[in-house]
Amino acid sequence: MLRDYELALSNYRLISTDYKLDKAWKRYAAVQEMMGAAYFMLNHSWKESEHCMENAFNTYLKNVPAGHQNATRCGLWWVEMLKTRDQFKEAAGVYFLIAGEESLHSAVMLEQASYCYLYSKPPMLRKYGFHLVLSGNQYKKSDQIKHAIRTYRRAVSVFKGTTWSYIKDHVHFHIGQWYAFLGLYDAAVIHMLEVLMCSHQSKTTQELFFKNFLNFFQKTGKACELLKLPLPIIDASSLKVVFEDHRTYASSAAVSVTESLWRSFEEEVIPSLSTARTNWLEVQSKFTSRRPKESNICVVGEIIEVGVEFKNPLQISIPLTGISLICELSERSDDGQTDANITGGMLNDQDSKLAADRLLNSSASVVLSDVDCVLEGGSTTMVKLIVTPREEGILKIVGVKWKISGSVSGCYNFVANPMKKKTTTRTRKHMHSFSDNLKFAVIKSLPKLEGLIHSIPERVYAGELRYLTLELSNKSEVAVKNLKMKISHPRFLNFGSAEHFDINYPACLQKITGSKRSGPMPMQREGSDSVFLFPNDNVIRKGSSLSWPLWFHAAVPGSVSLYIVLYYEIEDIECSMKYRTLRMFHNMEVLPAIDVSFQLSPQPSTPQKFLVRMDVTNQTSSEDFQMDQLSSLGNQWEISMIDPLFHPPLLMSGQAFSCFFMLKRHEKSGDSEEISSLHSPIGGDVKLSTKDDDDSLFDVSLSPLSDFHNCERLYQEKQSEGGSHTVDFILISHQVHNKNNPGVSHSPCFLSNHACHCSILGSSPISWVIDGPHEIFHDFSASFCEVSLKMTLYNSSKTVASIRINTMDSSHLGDSGSVFSNQEGWYNVPLENAIKVTSDVRGTILKSLLWESAHPTIWSASSSTKLQLGPGSMAEIPLQVCVFCPGTYDLSNYAVQWNLQPLGAQQNPESRPSSGTCPGYPYYLTVISSS
Amino acid sequence: MATTACFIIVSRNDIPIYEAEVGSTVKREDAAHLHQFILHAAQDIVQDLAWTTSAMFLKAIDRFNDLVVSVYVTAGHILLSE
Repeated sequence: MLRDYELALSNYRLISTDYKLDKAWKRYAAVQEMMGAAYFMLNHSWKESEHCMENAFNTYLKNVPAGHQNATRCGLWWVEMLKTRDQFKEAAGVYFLIAGEESLHSAVMLEQASYCYLYSKPPMLRKYGFHLVLSGNQYKKSDQIKHAIRTYRRAVSVFKGTTWSYIKDHVHFHIGQWYAFLGLYDAAVIHMLEVLMCSHQSKTTQELFFKNFLNFFQKTGKACELLKLPLPIIDASSLKVVFEDHRTYASSAAVSVTESLWRSFEEEVIPSLSTARTNWLEVQSKFTSRRPKESNICVVGEIIEVGVEFKNPLQISIPLTGISLICELSERSDDGQTDANITGGMLNDQDSKLAADRLLNSSASVVLSDVDCVLEGGSTTMVKLIVTPREEGILKIVGVKWKISGSVSGCYNFVANPMKKKTTTRTRKHMHSFSDNLKFAVIKSLPKLEGLIHSIPERVYAGELRYLTLELSNKSEVAVKNLKMKISHPRFLNFGSAEHFDINYPACLQKITGSKRSGPMPMQREGSDSVFLFPNDNVIRKGSSLSWPLWFHAAVPGSVSLYIVLYYEIEDIECSMKYRTLRMFHNMEVLPAIDVSFQLSPQPSTPQKFLVRMDVTNQTSSEDFQMDQLSSLGNQWEISMIDPLFHPPLLMSGQAFSCFFMLKRHEKSGDSEEISSLHSPIGGDVKLSTKDDDDSLFDVSLSPLSDFHNCERLYQEKQSEGGSHTVDFILISHQVHNKNNPGVSHSPCFLSNHACHCSILGSSPISWVIDGPHEIFHDFSASFCEVSLKMTLYNSSKTVASIRINTMDSSHLGDSGSVFSNQEGWYNVPLENAIKVTSDVRGTILKSLLWESAHPTIWSASSSTKLQLGPGSMAEIPLQVCVFCPGTYDLSNYAVQWNLQPLGAQQNPESRPSSGTCPGYPYYLTVISSS
Repeated sequence: MATTACFIIVSRNDIPIYEAEVGSTVKREDAAHLHQFILHAAQDIVQDLAWTTSAMFLKAIDRFNDLVVSVYVTAGHILLSE
C-alpha cells in the first residue's frame, strides 16, 4: 500500500516460512500470494513471483478446504500478471487450471483461456477454437445455451475450410441442436445442412443427423422453399437428353446406337442438302445465308427424355418424391437475355417467388413427369424424367427439383453460370456449350410414324425363314408420303412384296400346281440393293397404318444387329421440317442349326453326270429337323435321288447324315418357253420328306428365296472360274417340334440352307471313260483272247492339254521285290526255255507259263500314247488287251498323265494344278471260257 | 491400456490424412471428435516448437486432463501425432 515493496517482501518471506511450518495453509497461501504480488510490482525476477503464485494457488486448491474462491482470485491475479508480460500462453494455461470441473465457472475460465490463446503471439487459433468449444460445452451443461451458441459460433470460424470433419460436424451439429432448442429453427436448419453430407460418420450418426435435419426443417414450417441441398449428389456430366427432331426412334435400343452410325447409314436415303452449284457466286451466298444452328429442334407433343444420375453418399436410404424437371418455355421472339436473368435468379431466395410464379404460368404449356424413388445407401440411380411441350416456342431445361421425405425441397441448376455468348459478325463459332444443349426450339406438330415389326424373334436358328410384318402407323393429323426404307443387312432381312399379303406362309413359297409359274419375281431396287421404295400410292393418312411384309432369313450363326431406317416426307408444305426418319434397331442371336456341305465328283462314265454327296449335321442340342427338299440352281442342272424310294430320316439333335444324289447337266435348249434368261434358271428339286401332299414343293425361283439366295451367292463367293463350273444348292428343312415342350409355338418353321458355288470340277481337268465289253465268251483252246477297248478322253479345262496314257503291265501297287521272279509284260523268252516246253497241250503250257511267271492280261496295243487335246474337246484312243485265261480281271493298270499349257497372264496358277497323273479306275472284264 | 489411443497423420497444410484408433477397447463415437480436437489444438504448440529444435521426435508436448500428446515431425513437416 505504501509502495514499499521490498520491505513488504522481506516481511512476507519471514512469515511464509513460519506459516509453512505451522501448516497454516490458508495464511501461507495468502502470504505467498502477496509475495507474488510484491515481486510483480517490483518488476523483477518475475520467475519468483510466478513461483509464489503457483505455490499459493496450489496450496489453496489442495490444502484449504473450500478454497476455490481464493484459488480463483489468486489465479486471476496470476493471469493478470502474466498478461501484462504478454505471456498469454501461460496465462491461458493458468486459466485452464482455474477452470477445474465446475460448469459455469469453468466455462467462463475456458473462454478466457481461449482469448488468451488468441492474443498470444503467434495466435494459437486452434487452441482458441478448442477452448471455445470446451467452454461452450460447459455453458451447455450449465444451461447457458445462448452463451454456448455464442462460443461455438466463434469456434466455427476456426474450423471453417478445414478437413477435420469430426470437429466440424460436432460443432455444427451442436449449434444446430441448440438453436432448435431455442426455437430458432431457421438457423438450426442452416447448420444442419452443413452436417448432412457426413458419409464418413457411422450409420447411426448419419441417421441421427438426417432425422434431426428433417425435424428441424419441418418445424420451420416452410414447405416449398427451394434450397440448394447437397443431398443427393447429382452428376451433371451424367445428363442424357433424348429428343426427336427429324430423327425419330422406334425403341430405346435404337436410341443407344451412336449417332454417327445412324448418319452414315442414312446417307443414301436422305436427300442431300446442297443442290448443284453452278458457280462460285452461289457458293458464297449459301454460306452467308445459312444461319448457324442455335438450338435443337423438337416437336410439340413429343417427349423429351432427360436422364439424370442421383447418388446417395450416405449409408442410410433417402426417400425422394416429386422428382421433376424445371423447364421454361418462352415465346420465340423473346430476347435471350431476359431468360438468362431469370435463370440466374432462380436460386436466389428473393426471386424464388418470382420463379415459382413463372413455373406456374408455364405449367399449362409444358407437361412434366413426376418420379418417386428411394435411394438406397451408397447407391446411384438413373432417373428418367420427361417433359412434353404443348406450345411452340423455345424450351429450356433449367434444372431438376426433388423433395426429400416429402418435406424438404431441393433443386439443382444444370447450368452453373449462365454466360452470355458474344458473337462477332465475322466469325460465328458453333460453340455448343452445355446450356445450348438444353435449349430446344419447339415447332408445331408434325406427324410421327410409329413403326413396329411384329413378332421379330430374338433367338433363331441359322437358316430359319420367317415372315414378319412391318406396321407403320400415323397417329397425327397430317399425312406422310414418299416412303423409303433401308435395311442394313439384306442378307438377313428383305422386303416382301404386296402379293405376299394374301397368301399364307408357307404357301406363298411353294410352287403352284400347274406348269405356269407366276408369282412375285425378285424386287426391283433403286440405287443400291438395300434401299427400297414403297410404291407411290402408299400414303399413310392420318390415323391409318400401313403394313408391309418382310422376310427374315438367318443366314449365319452369330449375333446380328439389324438397323432399319425409314424415310418419309410430310405432305404439309408449311412446316419447317420436310422429312423425318424413323430408326429401328434390333438385336438378335442366331444359333447354329444345320450345317450342310456338298461334294461333287464327276462320274467317269458320262462327263455330264455328277455324283453329289450331301453331308448334313444337326448342330443343335435339342431340336430335330426334317429335310424337305433339295434344289439345285445353275445352268440347267437337274438333280435326282439315286434311289427314288429312299427318304432321309429325321435328323435328331447332334446327328449327322450323308446322302447321295445324281446331278445331270442339260444341254441348253433355246426354244423352251419356260426358260427366261433374266430371271430363274431351271433348277431341279428333289423331295426329301415323306409327306403325302406331294404338291408342296418350294419354288426357289420365287422371291424371297431367290433374293436371299442371291445375297448368299455374293457373300459366299470364292474364286470361282465362271458360271459354268459351279452349281448352287438350297436345302429346305423344317423344325420338328418336340412334344415335350408345350410352351413352344407350333407354327411352321422352315429353314433354308444355301450352298453356293459348289465346284463341279474334279481334281483334274481331264476325264475319261473306257468303253468296251464287260463280258466275253471265248474259246481258249483256239487262241488267246484279244479285247478291244476304247478310251474317250475329255478335256474340261480352258487350255490345250497334252495327255499321255501309259499302260503298265506290272501291278500298280509297285511290288518291285518280285520283278525277277514274276516277270510280267512282254519279255524275251530265251530259246532254251522254249524248247523244253512239251507240246501236249498248249493251253496248259501256256497256263503253266502264265501262272508261274506272267500276268493273265497284257496290254497289247501301244504302251504309251501321247496326244494333244484342245479345250473342251474329246478324243478317242483305242486300247487292246490280251487275255490268256478265263477269269475276271480288273483293267486298271494304266495311268494318265496330263499337262495343261499355260494360257498366259490370265490363268491363275494357284487355282488349278497344271499337271498331274491320274491312275486308272477299275474296269472289270469277265472272260468266260466257251469251249 | 484402458483407453484407446488415437493416431493421426496431418499434412503440412493442416489437412488430416490418416486417422486410426489404436487400442483394445471398442471405438467410441463421442471420443472421436474429442481426440480430433485435442490433436488439432496441439498442432499450435508443435508449429512453434518444431522450429526451435532439430530433433524430430517431440515427446509429450501437451496435456489435456489425462491425455498426453506426443508428436513426431518429419522433414516435410508432416505431423504424426498421438
